[in-house]
Amino acid sequence: MAHPESVGEGEEEHHGSPWPVIIAVGMGVAYVGIVSGSIPLLLAGVVIFAGGIGGWIHQDLQRPSSPFYGLAAAVESRLPRVSARKLGMWLMLATEIMFFSAIIGASWTLRLRTATVGLPTFQGPWATPNQILNVPLTGLNTFILICSSLTMVEALAAIERGDQTKLRLFLLATLLLGITFLSIQAFEYQHLFFGEGLTFTHAPAGSGVNPLYGPTFYAQTGVHGSHVTAGVLAMAYVTRKAFKGGFTKENHEAVELAGLYWHFVDVVWIFLFTIVYLI
Amino acid sequence: MSETATATHATGAVEELKKRPYVVVFVVLAVVTLVELSVYSLGLPHLETIIILVILATVKASLVVAYYMHLRYEPRWVALIPLAGLALVAVLVAALTATVAH
Repeated sequence: MAHPESVGEGEEEHHGSPWPVIIAVGMGVAYVGIVSGSIPLLLAGVVIFAGGIGGWIHQDLQRPSSPFYGLAAAVESRLPRVSARKLGMWLMLATEIMFFSAIIGASWTLRLRTATVGLPTFQGPWATPNQILNVPLTGLNTFILICSSLTMVEALAAIERGDQTKLRLFLLATLLLGITFLSIQAFEYQHLFFGEGLTFTHAPAGSGVNPLYGPTFYAQTGVHGSHVTAGVLAMAYVTRKAFKGGFTKENHEAVELAGLYWHFVDVVWIFLFTIVYLI
Repeated sequence: MSETATATHATGAVEELKKRPYVVVFVVLAVVTLVELSVYSLGLPHLETIIILVILATVKASLVVAYYMHLRYEPRWVALIPLAGLALVAVLVAALTATVAH
């Protein structure tokens, strides 16, 4: 168990984990597979990546969560310190801001350009809210995501008080709400794609809507949905660890970091809902 | 907005951990979402609708980042990280605007 004096020892062990390197190798191999168009290489990369994730999770489930200050702990500094992992999470979220901005910006540019310049192959206006998309249903989904943010932050508050039962309950609620969000989105996609005929290349027949409406819709909401999926997987892991008693009042950083990511995905949805559905 | 002001006021540094206004923020988020849904159905001119909705979304996102992501309670300099991302977003938006205007 984590006594304050054994924290340094634990950090050494964390430092020695080979799994992040294996994960990075998997991603590298998969990327080479994508660039060179080699399916076997891509699959090999995915298998190495998944194995690395599995190994890392297996290793991490064995020990309690603890903050990690790295070499910075030995250096005098006037700045208040922040755990290296939390810093890493914020840095990743900064790159995610740029990633989502690129996707949303590209879609918005296409929308404005086709409205003003009118490229000959992509004629037609953008769909108005509710013309194709089901705004009330997605409004409900937005509410579900907000609820999941509340349960997530309450889970963190619970373990900060040392309340294991509420930690587990709130994490489980967050997980279920995330799965509900994804299920509604899957239902929406199925209805739009097969029912309405909003595909990657065509708008619904007879609607006169610009054919770029479909691909930009799926790109923006799909990239977000994949992030929610990753969040649900992270939540499943954190919940499992919570049920194994892996978090204590003093050591629960994984709950906080998973929460940071989860709330960020909520923030992205706040803008996507406005831009894709309401405007 | 008055709820937001109250929430900001309620969190003194002393009672920080005990009384973080999570539920208040949740209620504000839910209410603003309802306002968003009614704004779009009002049938205002497009530009006005866009401006109002983007402001409302920014309010919601700021609340989540400040309270749920605890940025309010972190050392000040941590906020520079997402701000650096946003600075590059500003460059992107400026470049795309120039493209569209061209």
